[in-house]
Amino acid sequence: MDEDVLTTLKILIIGESGVGKSSLLLRFTDDTFDPELAATIGVDFKVKTISVDGNKAKLAIWDTAGQERFRTLTPSYYRGAQGVILVYDVTRRETFLKLDNWLNELETYCTRNDIVKMLVGNKIDKENREVDRNEGLKFARKHSMLFIEASAKTCDGVQCAFEELVEKIIQTPGLWESENQNRGVKLSNKEEGYGGAGCGGYCSML
Amino acid sequence: MAADSEPESDVFEITDFTTASEWERFISKIEEVLNDWKLIGTFSGKPLEKGIYTSGVWEEKSDEISFADFKFSVTHHYLVQESSDKDGKEELVEDALPLPMQDLLCMNNDFPPRAHCLVRWYGLREFVVIAPAANSDAVLSESKCNLLLSSISIGLGNTGCQVPLFVQIHHKWRRMYVGECQGPGVRTDFEMVHLRKVPNQYTHLSGLLDIFKSKIGCPLTPLPPVSIAIRLTYVLQDWLQYFWPQQPPDIDALVGGEVGGLEFGKLPFGACEDPISELHLATTWPHLTEGIIVDNDVYSDLDPIQAPQWSVRVRKADNPQCLLGDFLTEFFKLCRRKESTDEILGRSAFEEDGKETADISHALSKLTEPAPVPIHKLSVTNMVHSAKKKIRKHRGVDESPLNNEVLNAILLFLFPDAADKLTDGSETRPTSSAGSNPPPESEEYNLFSQFKSAPSDSLTYKLALCLCMINFYHGGVKGVVHLWQEFVLEMRYRWENNYLIPGLASGPPDLRCCLLHQKLQMLNCCIERKKARDEGKKANITDRSPGGSSGDTGKAADHSGGDYQKETDKEKEVGKSWESWSDSEEEFFECLSDTEDLKGNGQENGKKGGSKEGGKEFTNFKPEGRLHQHGKLTLLHPGEPLYIPVTQEPAPMTEDLLEEQSEVLAKLGTSAEGAHLRARMQSACLLSDMESFKAANPGCCLEDFVRWYSPRDYIEEEVVDEKGNVVIKGELSARMKIPSNMWVEAWETAKPVPARRQKRLFDDTREAEKVLHYFAVQKPADLARHLLPCVIHAAVLKVKEEETLEDISSVKKIIKQIISHSSKILRFPNPEDKKLEEIIAQIMSVEAIIARARSLKAKFGIEKCEQEEEKEDLQRFVNCLLEQPEVSVVGAGRGPAGSIIHKLFVNAQRVATMTPLDEELKRSGSADERRLISGAVADFPPPAGREVILRTTVPRPAPYSKPLPQLSVAGEQARWAPAASVSVLTVPSFDRGCFSICGCEMEPQEPFSSDT
Ligand SMILES: Nc1nc2c(ncn2[C@@H]2O[C@H](COP(=O)(O)OP(=O)(O)OP(=O)(O)O)[C@@H](O)[C@H]2O)c(=O)[nH]1
Ligand SMILES: [Mg+2]
Repeated sequence: MDEDVLTTLKILIIGESGVGKSSLLLRFTDDTFDPELAATIGVDFKVKTISVDGNKAKLAIWDTAGQERFRTLTPSYYRGAQGVILVYDVTRRETFLKLDNWLNELETYCTRNDIVKMLVGNKIDKENREVDRNEGLKFARKHSMLFIEASAKTCDGVQCAFEELVEKIIQTPGLWESENQNRGVKLSNKEEGYGGAGCGGYCSML
Repeated sequence: MAADSEPESDVFEITDFTTASEWERFISKIEEVLNDWKLIGTFSGKPLEKGIYTSGVWEEKSDEISFADFKFSVTHHYLVQESSDKDGKEELVEDALPLPMQDLLCMNNDFPPRAHCLVRWYGLREFVVIAPAANSDAVLSESKCNLLLSSISIGLGNTGCQVPLFVQIHHKWRRMYVGECQGPGVRTDFEMVHLRKVPNQYTHLSGLLDIFKSKIGCPLTPLPPVSIAIRLTYVLQDWLQYFWPQQPPDIDALVGGEVGGLEFGKLPFGACEDPISELHLATTWPHLTEGIIVDNDVYSDLDPIQAPQWSVRVRKADNPQCLLGDFLTEFFKLCRRKESTDEILGRSAFEEDGKETADISHALSKLTEPAPVPIHKLSVTNMVHSAKKKIRKHRGVDESPLNNEVLNAILLFLFPDAADKLTDGSETRPTSSAGSNPPPESEEYNLFSQFKSAPSDSLTYKLALCLCMINFYHGGVKGVVHLWQEFVLEMRYRWENNYLIPGLASGPPDLRCCLLHQKLQMLNCCIERKKARDEGKKANITDRSPGGSSGDTGKAADHSGGDYQKETDKEKEVGKSWESWSDSEEEFFECLSDTEDLKGNGQENGKKGGSKEGGKEFTNFKPEGRLHQHGKLTLLHPGEPLYIPVTQEPAPMTEDLLEEQSEVLAKLGTSAEGAHLRARMQSACLLSDMESFKAANPGCCLEDFVRWYSPRDYIEEEVVDEKGNVVIKGELSARMKIPSNMWVEAWETAKPVPARRQKRLFDDTREAEKVLHYFAVQKPADLARHLLPCVIHAAVLKVKEEETLEDISSVKKIIKQIISHSSKILRFPNPEDKKLEEIIAQIMSVEAIIARARSLKAKFGIEKCEQEEEKEDLQRFVNCLLEQPEVSVVGAGRGPAGSIIHKLFVNAQRVATMTPLDEELKRSGSADERRLISGAVADFPPPAGREVILRTTVPRPAPYSKPLPQLSVAGEQARWAPAASVSVLTVPSFDRGCFSICGCEMEPQEPFSSDT
């Protein structure tokens, strides 16, 4: 572990398929836009260290597939996340209308009630907008979320979205402190580690 | 200039201090403090409202000063008042008495229930106390006391402070004070007498009046009238008519599913001893004038029944033993045990699992044998417990921690399906004990997701409660280990014999629940799949001519098909997608590809055609594994309807598996290759779905699949073709068209194979064994930690349920706090012990409050009260007793509460007099007490406390005081206050009295050291 890193934060990106989750993440971590990005299968994972207010934080960001069929698996990644980015596509109203479902799922599976949520309306570079900025704002207010509009293509708002989220998490000390504490305990806890990837469990039976 | 003047002033001060004696310095420090606190000058204040000393807010301020090297603390105690304008209109109050002297005469706050003793004795709203700083220090010698007293006298005189100043003398616990208050031309001396032996005349009013008058030494005749306030306090300790009803349950009695009247799955509740230990009744005569009543050593008018005011306080038992609290505490102790199961029971009972499980005769199979006897009897006599047998074998001792009856009753409770099979098997009884559970969807039911426990009707929850009970009543940790072993054996039995585990919601593990619950659900998923597979095989065997390929499938479990028919039916309804492959062709689910060829219904052709792959080849094999037709879509090329295939369910996962998996995925890193590999590892489900889709839709292409699977990646546009018609043209999204992306790759490798013949995505055998192994290695402490959230959850529900019967608002508030507190702590992995202890302590305090409410309710006979209105009044009265230090009794001795209290005393007296009287007589020395208990049995015992306040206003000129005209009118008051507070109530006679004589030059008749 890096010595100067204050904490490792687990962040999750969710939202309907094709809204640009993977593109936003790619823009944030590699500062590029790849129009040839494949649809995500299962979950993908990226790491980036950023510094907010002089504090270095390592972000472990899980990019989930919006595709229905993969969703049965993804709720498990909600566990222990301190922040979540919920994305919709401003040019597709149906992706905005599905937000309620996503929040429900989040509520059900996330292990903490004080998780920081950010709503991102993506693809503002496109012409055919279907969701007004005010609608997004209203939704975010109703559900006590951070809100920003962004474009993974033109880079608008992307950096800002992640930084705001991290700042907010760091301002909620209980959120990252206790997570770190518990993680420390967990590593030393044998019971959790049983049946690790190396051994198939069955073979170690007797 | 400055340089000149500064040293000068320095020199001046230095000189001042060097010449001053310690004593002078002490006095100047007192003055300094009084100045700092702005206590100098005349204060005007409103007359005190009635009861303000109790309802108002008292504050205090402290500082430290020293006399040589002896440290004193100075404390200012004061009632916070809205506006205490100081020096407001000095002229107006010029000839009025200083406020403290007015307060002495004010009767509105006599006998405050909770106040500083000086407030209680002198009725002051404000005063300053100088006391030794260290608790162990004391001012003992008379000369020192006098020195201090003169210090404050000088200090007050120098500053003109009108706030009374006290010095605490003697040991602190004796609460001895001397003090003084000064006003323009008036002075009040506060003095105290502490008497070890109370002279006879102090025990009745007429004696006290005599002393009072003689001390005043008033020159006037006749004396102005003396106003009198009296309070007598009686203590009730024996609640004789009322037996505390709750005994610890009798653990040896086993009554049908209950142990000692305690039903399984229920937590006990309530105190085992009376949580209310004493009742103190204060009977008060607030306004008497001399001559109205007689109270002397032969006769008394002071009949408590006649007292115009009654008030009551109760003394609570400190830590009453309460059942729920004990249960929780004991269970929590398990979490700290270090031993493994083997260490507790001797050599492992699990070591021979592999060989012996086949012979384990099981509770279920025994129970399912038809028998005409009622269930309980059957369960008691017939069940044989393998684990116990084994334990016995290994230990060579003929006793196991849990006796058979208890164990059988618990197993029946946990696995009611065994009993259902016996009765008639038509309807599954709800697995919860009737009516005790909140309905699903209610807020209470969903507590489990806040606590990360398990639903209150689940097996996990019930197991937690049973273990809790066993831990308490049946052999402690050994019993716990024994039941757990039985439980694990039962799990293995069910896995091996395809019996679903009852009391678990179907479907994948619920990540909102505790890990143990998830593991049980996981095991159930495994059983469900294995069972479907085995039943498919069997159906297949019976379908076809016997002897076919049944050799391979011979390991199917050989239970009689009828027993569990019901479950099979139910399951078919639930999992529709299973249906098609769980009946006829199931045996191929797990088979290798060469056995697929055995299947002779013409698919070989199709397979051969389809095996050439490619997205667009047109083949004409027979479609397989169709779930249903897609509403609108048709295939792009053949134009046939598009069918949604039967697909394999994704593998169920418990949170620890998920954690592991995400760790593995994270380890692949963030490089492009890593990402690719990660996607690949997760593409099994995609590939399987593609294969199912291909099998169900011969001739389909990737576009067809994408339209069903990821509609947004198929983009349709209206275009105008050559002929000018508007046609809809569709194509894959850009990201799907990237050459050799994962989707294209997978599509190319996918063969048209229906789900039932695909390789299992979920290896139920492996996962089940993992779960069973996990169970087997749990130490008792692990188990307790797994289940603690369930136990806390149950305790909270129990407390809530009990509270609704009593309706105590303060308890409601605490319960809310407990819930929000616990949900913060329990949802994290590995919560700290300290925080868990806090939760348990909170639950225990609520239990004690409710127990106290019940005790009082029973004592005041609220249940028996018939008049609705009266009942409500009594209820309110009891609630006040719980929350306030002292409650006044409406109607005094004649009100409904009063007459109940009276009766309580009468009954106690009646019993007390049955004990030899001589002893009592010998002990009680005073005429007063003898008077009260002689002759007919008195309704009340001798008062344990007697407080008398005598007030009068007389002119008292003094020979050597300042010759000021105001001096002729001096406020004078004597207060004799028994300091017989709660702590000395058990002493039948007064061990302390204090006297304050105020006014100029009252010489102390008894020096305060008289008792030493
Ligand atoms: N114009 C424009 N296109 C975008 C933007 N962000 C993403 N896209 C495009 O939208 C499509 C979907 O983007 P992805 O990032 O793959 O979407 P996703 O949310 O990860 O989708 P799933 O992985 O299926 O859940 C891609 O073709 C992107 O090129 C944006 O800000 N502007
Ligand atoms: Mg993606």
